[in-house]
Order: sequence, then C-alpha cells, then structure tokens
Amino acid sequence: MGGKEAGDTMSVLLEVEDLWKSFGDLQVLKGVNMSLKPGEVLVVIGPSGGGKSTFLRCINHLEVPDRGRVVFDGIEVKEGKNINLIRSKIGMVFQQFNLFPHLTVLENLILAPVKVKGMDEVEAKDKAKKLLKRVGLLEKADAYPSQLSGGQQQRVAIARALMMDPKLMLFDEPTSALDPELVAEVLEVMKTLAMDGMTMIVVTHEMGFAKEVADRVCFMDGGVIVEEAPPEVFFTSPRNPRTREFLSKILGV
Amino acid sequence: MPYWLEAVIDSFPYLLSGALITLEITALAILLGLLIGTFVGMARLSKKRWINAPATVYVEFIRGTPLLVQIFIIYFGLPSLGIYIDRFPAGVLALGINSGAYVAEIVRAGIQSVSKGQYEAARSLGLSHWQAMRYVVLPQAFRNILPALGNEFITLTKDSSLVSVIAIEELLRRGTIVISRTFQSFSVYSAVALLYFVMTFSLSRLTRWVEKRLAIP
Ligand SMILES: Nc1ncnc2c1ncn2[C@@H]1O[C@H](COP(=O)(O)OP(=O)(O)O)[C@@H](O)[C@H]1O
Ligand SMILES: [Mg+2]
Repeated sequence: MGGKEAGDTMSVLLEVEDLWKSFGDLQVLKGVNMSLKPGEVLVVIGPSGGGKSTFLRCINHLEVPDRGRVVFDGIEVKEGKNINLIRSKIGMVFQQFNLFPHLTVLENLILAPVKVKGMDEVEAKDKAKKLLKRVGLLEKADAYPSQLSGGQQQRVAIARALMMDPKLMLFDEPTSALDPELVAEVLEVMKTLAMDGMTMIVVTHEMGFAKEVADRVCFMDGGVIVEEAPPEVFFTSPRNPRTREFLSKILGV
Repeated sequence: MPYWLEAVIDSFPYLLSGALITLEITALAILLGLLIGTFVGMARLSKKRWINAPATVYVEFIRGTPLLVQIFIIYFGLPSLGIYIDRFPAGVLALGINSGAYVAEIVRAGIQSVSKGQYEAARSLGLSHWQAMRYVVLPQAFRNILPALGNEFITLTKDSSLVSVIAIEELLRRGTIVISRTFQSFSVYSAVALLYFVMTFSLSRLTRWVEKRLAIP
C-alpha cells in the first residue's frame, strides 16, 4: 500500500508544515509536521484533548491555523476562491455522522455533487446508487437518516464523502459513537476503501484496524506528533515513554 | 330584525372585503418580515462586527419603540424628507420592518438550534457558506421555529389593525366607518373581532398543518 517513491516530491499528496493553533489561551497544536503519499493510510492515536480533531480540521480549513502551511495536491489550502473546490476533494467523516436529517439518504449523497460540481441530477443519482451498493445500503436510498442505525448512518456518511471523488479521506473517530456491535461494519467499509488505494488519515482507537490497515501510526499528545512509525514497530517497540504509557493503558497490558 | 343585527348583516360584505385587505397587508408584511428577518437573523450571528452591529441596532430599536410610532414615521415622517409613500405600501412597509425584527430573533434562535456539525459537514463537502445555509442549516432551522413563526404571524395579523390610523381601509377601519353610519358599535365591533378571530385561528391551523407536513421522519 505505502508508496515507495520516497524523495519524489511529486508523489506527496499532503504536506503539513509547522501547524499551530490556539483557542484563546489554550494552545492546542504546537507545530505539527506530516506528509502523506498517495495511497498511504495514516492512523492517529492519542489521548482525548490532544488536538487530533483540531489537526484534521486544520487540514481542510474548517479551522484556520494560526501558523504553518497545508499543501494538498500541490495547492496551498487557504481561504480564497478555490477553498470550496479543495475541500470537496478532501472527504471528511465525523464521529457524530452529521448526515442531513431533513434529506433522504439519496438526497444527502447528491447535494454536494449537484450544487458544488454542477453534476446532472440523474447522473448524480446513478453514481449515488453505485456507492450505496458498495457500502451495502442500496435498499436504504429513500430512507431518512433517523430511520437508520448508527453503523448504517456512518456508512452513508462515507458514501456521501466519496461522491465528490476525494483524493484524501479524513476520519475523526468514525466508530466512537457506535454501539460495539456496529463498529465492525464501518471498519469493514474503511478497510475496503484502503485496499482500493484511498489515501486516508484515520483518528481511531481501534488498534486492530491500525495494525491491519495502517502504513504508519502516529501518536499525538499535547499538540505535537510524539512518535510515528509503521505499525509493526509502533506497537511492538515504541521508543517514547509517553507512547508506551498510552499504549499500555489502551491495550490494557 | 333588530337594527343592531341588520346593521351587521347589511355591512357584512363591506367588512368581509376589508378582511381581505387585512389579509393582503398581513401576507405582504409576513413575506417582507421573513425576508428581512432571515438575513438579519443570520447577520446577528456573524462574527464580523460591521455585519452584526447594524443588525443588533435594528432589532433593538424596532423592539424598543411602539409600532404606531413606526407607522407614523414612515407615513407622516418620511414625506418631510421628500420621500412619499402611498398609504398601502407604507402600511405594509411599517408592518414588515416591524415584524422583521421579531422574526430575526426567532431565526437566530433557529439557526443556533441546528448543530454546528451540520454546517461543518456541508462545508467539508465543498458547499459555500451560502449554500450550506440555504440547503442544510436554514431548512432545519425553519422546521424548528415554525411554531414561533406561527405566533409571530398571528401577532402581525392583529397588529395590522393599527394601520387603520393612516386610513387604509382594512377591516378595523371599515368597521369604524360602518359604525359612524349606523352607531351600532357593539355589534359591528364584535363582528370585526369575529373576523379577526377567523383569520388568526385559520393561520394557527395552517402552521400546524405545515409543521406536520414538513416534519422529518
Ligand atoms: N472551537 C474550539 N473552541 C475552544 N476550544 C476548543 C475548540 N475546539 C477544540 N478545543 C479544545 O482544544 C483541545 C483539543 O481538542 P481536540 O482537537 O478536539 O482534541 P482531540 O480530538 O484529540 O480529543 C481540547 O481541550 C478542546 O476543548
Ligand atoms: Mg477528537
């Protein structure tokens, strides 16, 4: 899965340089650096309040960083004319799903392609049905979000993001709000997505997923990336004591 | 037939067409109030001071002054500045501007009732601020505030009687005209009240029907 073209600047999809962000007096990000190649899957773990969500939200500028740069697909992400176009190429999946409750599943999917890209409605519906089939929810096309289980809602949210043909997908604890028995179906969809070559940043505490799917795992705490390594290394021989402590807590050893 | 009843029956078609004018004024003022209120409500939530400050001043000023004075300013006051508006549009304008302030506060609360995640999900898909408001936030906000808007429209229907002071021949004005001819104040004013009640009651039924129809499953 991981790109082997290290050093080739053209093969970098996302470059994050020295990202800083504070809310009032609270310094949340303190210089985050990261780079991602096409097809790579990065899993981010770390304690609550460590800045993981803020980091993801800075990538598509839902949150405007105080300092630093985000370069996506060769273009700097910043406020301006093309910010909406850039955002549309970065799919985001939220912990709380955030489906639009007043729209049916199908309407949820076609809203952005039709309004942002000007896609023809019939064409958009065709595409939506294909994606719904892919996440196993074709029969729910005309249902409203409230009529779906949490797991189904999150799969719809993933399909909704995929409608825009994103080059990068950001997942912010996509299974944390789910009942335990619904977690697997969402992870399964994400795994398939990764195997199909999607570039992904996934904030999660599903260690099984990290071990199996991630190319790299990083530990984020106190607003910085404390440690980053391939999963084999990360889980067996973490170097940083803070990483070790967190892992032992979360893995219960 | 007693004269008090005859006076009402004879003048009923005249009163009824006055009620239609009341409906017309109210409907136009509702539309104007909704338009103003939606934008001002959004402006009140803007982080930019030059947008939210004028909106706040407008809302506070309108809510802090009598509607009757506002009507006088528009109909009698503006001409001295060289701005002449016919009585009917002046009445609609005064009522609409007045209602806009109350609608703005309702809309503001409605927007705040929609979770921030909805707006963010829309923006993350590439929708602009306006598209996110138009297709995601406002449709949900309006569903949530429909009962409050219904109340505001009922208040506006009743308040529209105030424009009778600038001689618009709406329901109350026509009632007064009939009484000046027949001297049957009690029965005619009662008929006027009944007609207002029919309008406000229908309006309250209508909002409830719309509420049910638009309810999200
Ligand atoms: N919009 C905001 N306003 C103020 N504080 C915020 C905001 N968003 C996040 N924070 C604070 O920033 C810190 C980091 O939050 P977050 O990025 O959500 O961490 P994580 O996702 O790792 O739990 C937390 O203390 C949180 O309360
Ligand atoms: Mg978080």
